[in-house]
This record gives sequence, structure tokens and C-alpha cells, in this order.
Amino acid sequence: MIWKRYIPIAIVGFFGSLTLFGWFIESEGIKAFIDDDATQWYDIIASFAIFLGALNLLKLQFLKVLKQQSGWQYSVVAIVSFFAVFVIGFFMRGAFVVDIPNADVQSTYFTQGAAEEAVNQLKDSGVTASITPAQWGAHIQTEGGLFKWMFDNIFTPLSATMFALLAFYVASASYRAFRARNFEATLLLLAGIIIMIGRVPLGSLIPSWIIMYLLVLVLGIVVNTYFKSRELVFIVVALGLLGVTALFLYLDSTTVVDIFNAFITGGVISGFEVLGSWFTGWPINQPSIFYLPALQEWIYTVPNLAGARAIMIGIGLGIIVTSLRYIFGLEKSYIGDQ
Amino acid sequence: MGNQRGIKYGIGILVIIVFTYVLSNYHVALNFILRRWDITVESIFNSDRAFLFIVLLTVIMVLLNEIRNARKDSDSIFLRTIPGLKAVEEAVGRSTEMGRPILYVPGIMDMNEVETVAGVIILGHVAQMTAQYETGLDVPVARSIVMQAARESCKEAYLSQGRPEMFNEDMVHYITDDQFAYAAGVNGIMQRDKPAACMYMGKFYAESLLFAETGNGIGAIQIAGTASQAQIPFFVTACDYTLMGEEYFAASAYLSRKPELIGGVTTQDTVKLMLIGLIIVGLVMRALFDLDIVSFNLLDIIG
Repeated sequence: MIWKRYIPIAIVGFFGSLTLFGWFIESEGIKAFIDDDATQWYDIIASFAIFLGALNLLKLQFLKVLKQQSGWQYSVVAIVSFFAVFVIGFFMRGAFVVDIPNADVQSTYFTQGAAEEAVNQLKDSGVTASITPAQWGAHIQTEGGLFKWMFDNIFTPLSATMFALLAFYVASASYRAFRARNFEATLLLLAGIIIMIGRVPLGSLIPSWIIMYLLVLVLGIVVNTYFKSRELVFIVVALGLLGVTALFLYLDSTTVVDIFNAFITGGVISGFEVLGSWFTGWPINQPSIFYLPALQEWIYTVPNLAGARAIMIGIGLGIIVTSLRYIFGLEKSYIGDQ
Repeated sequence: MGNQRGIKYGIGILVIIVFTYVLSNYHVALNFILRRWDITVESIFNSDRAFLFIVLLTVIMVLLNEIRNARKDSDSIFLRTIPGLKAVEEAVGRSTEMGRPILYVPGIMDMNEVETVAGVIILGHVAQMTAQYETGLDVPVARSIVMQAARESCKEAYLSQGRPEMFNEDMVHYITDDQFAYAAGVNGIMQRDKPAACMYMGKFYAESLLFAETGNGIGAIQIAGTASQAQIPFFVTACDYTLMGEEYFAASAYLSRKPELIGGVTTQDTVKLMLIGLIIVGLVMRALFDLDIVSFNLLDIIG
């Protein structure tokens, strides 16, 4: 009981308090211990613990092969890969650098034999070259070496493949999330569309008035959903469209009177010219709240950030309180105490 | 917060502020005494961090008091229903009915992360349920130290339920330290074993969606819990239930109903209330400073 419970709790309490309160003390010794020594202790323990993990992995894979459980073939691959990498990393240098003096040319070969053959070929053509084996330890990171080659050409592409799967998963997850099943999902869908379009160049070409007219139509859908009255929907949409148009008449220097006068005095063509300039003369980003790049920025920096910070404060408090529970020995479940 | 408790905390904070002030300036008094011997001492307390020191001591004070209150009467403390935690038992039941195991992933980080420790604690509660229901449990881990801790937690859970014979050391097994290799390994287990329930409780990075979407694909009931802010949206999208941030840290209190842990939950709420008050006061004081009504900026004092 003492070894399994009290001593671990005492260690956690002592080092936890030292780390926590040491932050408020100006002492180089404590700072060095927390920043360097304690971290290195942890790394050393973790390095030894990896043997436990590796042994466990091998044991399970061997058992799977021996019992011929489903997918045992993959276990064979795992075991072979494990030993191949182990042997190459620990017992094979795999990196022999052939250096041509005065030419600043270096080539790395996996085996000494291959390197010697290359040197002999160079000798035949009148070039002197020397072989330098990579240092043990550095051999796993030597460019062109066997271990590095395996890392770059087998491991990295496999990891990249897994990572690339995310693109497809994001698409399928987004599809499910963006289905407008209820109010929250619809809100998410709208926010997602605004942010996606607002962040691409196309978004900056869409004028504010299009968004406003669209919002009026969306408002019509909402009114229809809740009130089921065609008259009411007509009134809301008509008033909304008129309101948006009136707003732009206000924002634009061209007035309805100008357009009317142009039609009366200049004829139909002149009238349409003024009407066209009225359309094109509308400031694309006014009012700015409905301009997509500005709108997406606002969504991102105001409601999104507010929500994120609320979650962050909760997380911070949770971490502080949970850590204090460990330090004071109030929570012992992590050492198996139920 | 009751009036009495509010007054108690108010007095406590005042005492802490005075204590911190004394701690910041103790060397002045000490030097006054030592001046006849020509000795001077420097303060080793970092005064720049005085405000955080006050916050820390306040949290400790609230925590100890709330735990004391919870020990006196924990039944009267209301814990709101967290659907994700209610669903844990439902998930175990479903697995039992379907005769398939439960997959529990305690994140990809080591025991130096609070989230991993919280994940191992919740694993203990889940293991108790699997012991009760006689359901299989599979815990692939990415760190050897987590493997040892998780094994210990499961072992104690099976022992506490009187089912030590059901505990098998290999139910907690190591895969690899590498992020995507681990993701590939866990996804392989999901595809082959088709667990009825998948639980992801710990610290996650980009692999969160790889797990959650694969779990979704095999039709498992999925419960996630994490404090990794960037991964919460992915879990919310792909899992049936998600414990977000503080809910995740409250999980062990909710599942165990121990007064010490329930006290921790009420501490979080109390401190949050205090923080809201501080934010409002800070806003008002900053506005008054900007309007030249007060001559000091509270935010400068806080640091």
C-alpha cells in the first residue's frame, strides 16, 4: 500500500507543488530544475518505458500469428518490419559516403561494397575518391543512408497517406454537419457558406446588395415556415426588397429622380444607361456588414472567438482544478484507486 | 453563491491580497531590521506575477472550502445531466447486447498531459461498467507509460467489481508512439473487430477525425471527450456525444459521485462566477479610465 499509493501521491504532491509555486520564486536553481532536470528525468523514464511497449506489441503480434487470428498476415508484416528496422538501426551503418576531393561531390551508398565499387570505377576514370563511413548514431540521419532512405521513402509516404485521408473525412463530416435538420444546423450551414465564399476571391466580387436581397428571401422562407401565410410572406418580402432598394438609393449618388428624368428627357436608351450606371455605381462593399469578406471576418472574430474563449476559460479552469486535485492528493484514480 | 459563502470568499480574497503584498515586500521590513549589521536581502518572490499568485491562492481556497462543503452534504449539490456521460452506460449496455467489445482510446499524448490523466480516470469507471456487464474492453495506447497507468486503472476497476478473473493485461496494449501509425492501427482494429461503442477520451490532434469517421462508418455509438479546442468541432460532427472542455474534467466527479470530486466541479463554477465579475469590473474600470474619470488602469495593475 505504501509503495503503490502513498509514495506516488507524495511524489506527485511534492513535485507538483514545487513546479507550481516555483513559478513565483525567482531562483535559478528551481527554474533550472523545472525547465531542464525534471523534463530530462521524464524523457529518461519514457525512453526506458518504450521497451515495455515494444515487448507488448511483439507479444500480441506473435500470439496473433501463432493462433492464426483474423488478419494474422498483417501481424507478420508488423513483426518483419519491426525487426528489419531494429536491425538496420542498431547493427547496420547503411551510410558510406564517397567523397571526391576538390570536386565537392559526395555520394552515399548503403553498403561498403557498393561504395568501394564506386571508388574503383572512379579510379579507373582517373578520379581519386575516399570512403567515409557515417558515425554510429548519426548514421540514421545521414542523407542517402539506408535508414534515412527507409524513413523518407516508406514511413513518410505512409504517414502522408493517413494524413491525406483527412481531406475525404472532412468532406463527409461536413456533409453531415451541414444538413439543415434544425435551426442550429441551418445556422451552421449559413455561417459555413459565408466563411467559405468570403475567404475566396469570388466572395469579394459579390456586392452587398445581392446578399441583402438573398437575406430578404431567406426571411420570407422563415416567415412562411412559422406563419404559413402567403399574404404575410408577400408583404415581408415586398417590404424587404423595397427597403433594400431604398437603402441603395440613399447610398448611391444617382437618385430615382435622375433615372426618371433620364427616361423622360433622353429617351429609353438614355434612361437605361443611367439605370445601368446606377446599378454599377452602387458601392460593392456598402453597407460593409453585408459584404462577404467583411461579414466572414466579423463571424470569425466576434461570435466564433467569443464562443471559443468561453470554451477556453472552461478548459483552463478544468485543468487548474484537476491539477490541484492531483497535487493535493484528492484524486487518486490515476494510480488505480477506485 | 449564497450570501454567507460570498462574504467568506470576499474576506478570504482580502486576506490573500494582504498576504501577497506582505510577501512582495517582506524584504523591506527585513532590511530595516538588518540595517545595523549592514546586511541587505533581496526578495525572491516574483512581484510581477503577484496577481496570478492571488488567483492561484483564491482557487485553492475555494477548492478546499467547496470540498469541505461537499463532504458535509454532497447530496444537495446539483449536478446537471451531461448527456455524454449518461450515454456511457447506454454504450456499455449496447455492446453487451450486441456481444461486441468497447474500444477506448485515451488520446495520443503521455501522462504529463492532464487530459490523458483524466482519460485514464474515466477509463477506470468505464472498466467498472464493463466488469459489471461482462463486456469486452479494448484499450490501444500510444505511450508506454499510459499503458502501465491504464492497466493499473483497469485492474483495480475489475477487482473493485469482484471480477478479477475477467481482467486481462492485454486488454490495454501498446501500438506505437507515432501519430498516424497509431491512427492506422486503431482504425484497423475498428474495421476488423467492429466494436459496438468507441470512446475517445484524452488529448487528440489531427487523428481525431480519422478515428471518429471510421467509428461512424462501422456504425458504433461514439462518445468523445477532450479539452483540445481545435478537435472539438470534429468530434461534435462525427460522434454521437461529445464532452467539451470542462464537462470532460467534470466526468470523473459525475461518474464517481465522490464529494472531493464534486467539490472540484463546484469550484470551477464558483471561480467562473468570480471571473465573470472580474471581467465586468475590468470593463467598467477600463471605460472609466478611458473617459478620464479614474486615474489608474486596472488592467495595468493586473499585469
